[in-house]
Amino acid sequence: MRPPVARRWLATPSFRALLALAFVVVLGCVFNADGAFFHWSTHRDMLRQVSVYGILACGMTLVIISGGIDLSVGSVVGLCAVLFARQTLHQGESAAVALGLVIAAGTAIGLASGTLVARFRVQPFVATLAMMVFARGLAKWISGGQKISQAIQQPDGSFAYEDLPAIFQRIDRRILWGNLSVVTLVFLGCVLVSWVVLAKLRYGRYLYATGGNEEAARLSGVPIARTKLLAYGLSGLFGAVAGICQAAQEQQGDPEAGSTYELTAIAIAVIGGNNLMGGRGGIGLTLLGALTIGYLEKILSINAVGESSRLMLTGAIIVAAVLLQRRGNA
Amino acid sequence: MPARLLALRQIGKLFGSNRVLEGVSLDLNEGEVHILAGENGAGKSTLIKILAGIHTEYEGAIELRGRPVRFAGPRDANRAGISVIHQELSLIDAMSLVDNIHLGRESALHGGLWLDRKGQAGRALELCRQLDLDFTAADLARPVEQFPLSTKNLIEIAKALAFDARILVMDEPTSALSRAEVERLFALVDALKRRGCGILYITHKMDEIYQLADRITVLRDGRWVGTAPAAECPESRLIQWMIGRDLAPQSGPRPDAAGGGTAGRVLEVRGLRVPHPLPGRPPAISDFSIAVNAGEIVGIAGLQGSGGAELFQGLFGAYGAVCGGSVRMDGSPFRPESPARSIRRGLSYLTADRKASGLVPAMSVEHNVTLASLSRVSPGGVLRPGRERAGAARQVEALGIRLASLEQAVGTLSGGNQQKVVLAKWLETLPKVLLLEEPTRGVDIGSKSEIHSLMRQWTSAGMAILLISSELPELLLLSDRILALHRGAVTAEFARGEATPERILAAAMGSAARASEGCA
Amino acid sequence: MHKPILSLLALAALSASAAPASPRHGDKWIVGMSQCNLGEPWRVQMNADIRKAAEAHPEIELVFKDAQNDTLRQRSQIEEFINAGVDLLIVSPKEAAPLTPPVAAAFSHGIPVIVLDRKVLGNDFTQFIGADNRRIGRAAGDWAVRRLLALPRVKDGGRARMVELTGLMTSTPGQDRLAGFHAALQGQPVDIVFSADTQWLEPQARAEMESALAVNPQIDLVYAHNDPAAHGAYLAAKSASREKDIIFIGIDGLPQEGQVYVRQGLLEASFEYPTGGREAVESALKILNGDAVPRQVTLNSRFFTRDTVASGGKWLP
Repeated sequence: MRPPVARRWLATPSFRALLALAFVVVLGCVFNADGAFFHWSTHRDMLRQVSVYGILACGMTLVIISGGIDLSVGSVVGLCAVLFARQTLHQGESAAVALGLVIAAGTAIGLASGTLVARFRVQPFVATLAMMVFARGLAKWISGGQKISQAIQQPDGSFAYEDLPAIFQRIDRRILWGNLSVVTLVFLGCVLVSWVVLAKLRYGRYLYATGGNEEAARLSGVPIARTKLLAYGLSGLFGAVAGICQAAQEQQGDPEAGSTYELTAIAIAVIGGNNLMGGRGGIGLTLLGALTIGYLEKILSINAVGESSRLMLTGAIIVAAVLLQRRGNA
Repeated sequence: MPARLLALRQIGKLFGSNRVLEGVSLDLNEGEVHILAGENGAGKSTLIKILAGIHTEYEGAIELRGRPVRFAGPRDANRAGISVIHQELSLIDAMSLVDNIHLGRESALHGGLWLDRKGQAGRALELCRQLDLDFTAADLARPVEQFPLSTKNLIEIAKALAFDARILVMDEPTSALSRAEVERLFALVDALKRRGCGILYITHKMDEIYQLADRITVLRDGRWVGTAPAAECPESRLIQWMIGRDLAPQSGPRPDAAGGGTAGRVLEVRGLRVPHPLPGRPPAISDFSIAVNAGEIVGIAGLQGSGGAELFQGLFGAYGAVCGGSVRMDGSPFRPESPARSIRRGLSYLTADRKASGLVPAMSVEHNVTLASLSRVSPGGVLRPGRERAGAARQVEALGIRLASLEQAVGTLSGGNQQKVVLAKWLETLPKVLLLEEPTRGVDIGSKSEIHSLMRQWTSAGMAILLISSELPELLLLSDRILALHRGAVTAEFARGEATPERILAAAMGSAARASEGCA
Repeated sequence: MHKPILSLLALAALSASAAPASPRHGDKWIVGMSQCNLGEPWRVQMNADIRKAAEAHPEIELVFKDAQNDTLRQRSQIEEFINAGVDLLIVSPKEAAPLTPPVAAAFSHGIPVIVLDRKVLGNDFTQFIGADNRRIGRAAGDWAVRRLLALPRVKDGGRARMVELTGLMTSTPGQDRLAGFHAALQGQPVDIVFSADTQWLEPQARAEMESALAVNPQIDLVYAHNDPAAHGAYLAAKSASREKDIIFIGIDGLPQEGQVYVRQGLLEASFEYPTGGREAVESALKILNGDAVPRQVTLNSRFFTRDTVASGGKWLP
């Protein structure tokens, strides 16, 4: 007979999420692509690759815990990537000013969704769907439908070429003797911020209470509207950070950047074991979910698995992971 | 000797490593009401879920008319003639009354493809007639969400009858019913008995037990304690069986609270008007005035729809700043605007429905207890786990909440303990005035008397309590004064000693004879 | 300003080949342009090319519609153009079969139709202008083989190792760019050691290239089906400090993308996939003025290398 402490630990969502991750890692050890899986560089690249998704998933986690969903984050990535590229490359603004502006813009989009949800009681799905379409349109409008890159079209139709500002290199580079990408560090920073919010701040408790039982929370004096508003605002802010990372890694602002990323972000949150009904979950689960998705993609990629099989396998593994979670919650 | 419908033999059930039932045996005869009693957490609900086919893993055996059966699911149990009316209603709000009644057993035409709408409607009408529910055909087509909770309960019973149930299990069916509706239900139970149905009836209410019971079985801690014909099981014995010890004698009426005068006046309401939460209706409360002193318990008696709940919601600011009239707390003006503001001013409100508006089930006991007082335990917006834990632990201790750990999800506690957690949450806000709506609903007898003595303890420490209860004995037992509320207005006020159940009921039913004495 | 029914009747009387000789809308020709989507820079460029070519001809007024990658939307947009009675229609269809009927309907209403880039079925259009992806893929393949054979290791009898980053392999351009390239590789000492579908997306290409680098210590060349993918691959190699050992080539050669990468020395070559925008406007003018045009025009493409990019590239042989 197992001691009860271990038993309780086995039933926790964290353990289930860890199990899913371990399962994928074991897959990687078996299908190691001639040992490629055992090199740190493979893991480092996986972490870089999953970072943008992961940053979005942090915001998504906050919103999901509050009982909502944010479909607009993918478009916020596109908008903020375009805006960041335009301000730095075309307008020649300093990095600090551009960063501030872009983060403000992303946050504003999030707050707009939040206002629709909290103040006008629009269903989160509908409000953020509208915002997703709107922000994508805004990205295309700002960019004129073109990628914003170092090539700048002149009035006569020819192209002039700008140098890449240093901020791009600074974000898209590695530290610790080439062992960790800066974007991964940004991702971990976002995880840390989300953790502080959820676990250490009164506001985090408000998020859980709002998602867990809105009416009980309201009658307990929880400021429901403000809580939701802030959740979407933070999601927009994380979207802006992800957009900046995306632009830096592509060295351009693509108005199409981030399409369908919202779905990956939701998948990460759910695979980690956050409950889509709200009120349950945590950022640690999201981190585990991000690693699970990241490893899954990496393993399929280093083994050069065909696109069709890749999609089917990914779908199957998501379902498996979620079923595993379900048993954990029962 | 009546035929035996059902026999449960040595039923046991484990949840993980946690044993909730062990060796429980029970039988049910034709034309019998068998009361199943026991404190919350005694295992009654689990036993019923096994009988209803919801739990399919259990020890022991079930026999129907002497033949062993094992249900693969709720449908199986239904087909075998067992219908369960759960505490949580199982109606689908958006569906019509007819469709709800026939849900899962739609009668079909033409080889099963087409619903027999006409036939279903006729059958539903007939059932409702038997139940003395005067619905028109048009009512039957309305979605059930448009009916009050009490009617829904009767619809639920109609649904069970539509299944031709021979064995009915009723799990606290009267908890949301008015007096008249309860009477109607009891008449129905009698009719069912005469038709040869066996009824397994769960209740916490003493008067119901003795009004209905043919036999009584008591469970305690998942074990069978005893079964006896009602006549051979007086109240004292029943209670002893249930709690395994003698209850502290129901303490007599408490001594009068610190007398009149305005010195200790904590709440003063003049001409309060609360609009109806739905637009286009007359106000829920039209003109309500009261003055409450520290240490006082003021009971508010009212039948369903009298406006008691709306009075509390309005006073607490749950509807926002919509109320008319004037309110003073501790001598200074107070405008009900929002729960947060009311809580800060020392006003707290326990709702009748702890599941819908009291608890956050996924959160731990500790976090539920501190939810309404977070601003106090998290200065600067940063949580202080130490302070939180200390506060929660203190309340758990003071209220005698039984739990495994403070981190336990509150949803896993028994009903009485859940209710105490909600009370603990409001006590943590250090209220001066506590609005309690049905504080002992769905709570076992032991917890109930504990909550009563807690209320006395709080008031002797200076807190004032406004109490709404649909149980007159409870009101009479606890209140220093009782106001009768009828259609949003006070029809009478009784001082302790003047109040009798008959007079209160008359006033609450809007009897013209306003009690002349004691009117404020 | 239009009387659709009347115009339709009038137009129905005209034969398809006998195009109107004078503008029907005042002093301007109305030319409708139905673009299947503007999500890809290449298609944005096509519209820009058309707009730019038309600037020199004030007698043309352009009306653009974007079908947002939706076949049915494009169909109804073509029908809107027919109802509006445009003088000429340029269509860059999303798919052949479902868009054949509306194109044929326009044609049978006497509206000359120029089909750009992707074909429709049958013969009910005036002119098709398109480039040949297979030919461009072949040219890229020939170029790559020549370049690889010049490597010392291959000269000494070794085999070259390369990575192919394909476009969306369910699309015709992706399939043709692959087939043409592979034809050039026949019998050559070149192995494709890693191949992945990037769905034309740069971030995807970067991630796939990271995997290719992790699995293959030696990569001589990367062939990407579009320049953004080649760029993504370059960034991956660069962050692994292996970009100096690898030759990158891509397709599309847009001025603000591929040409820039070549100019910066990231790509050694980019093969133009011309939009045909300019050619479409030139043809349109001819048709509107009553001149005969060939039914099919296959666009010639250029390719850009570091030496030729400044001077506008070289035409494919």
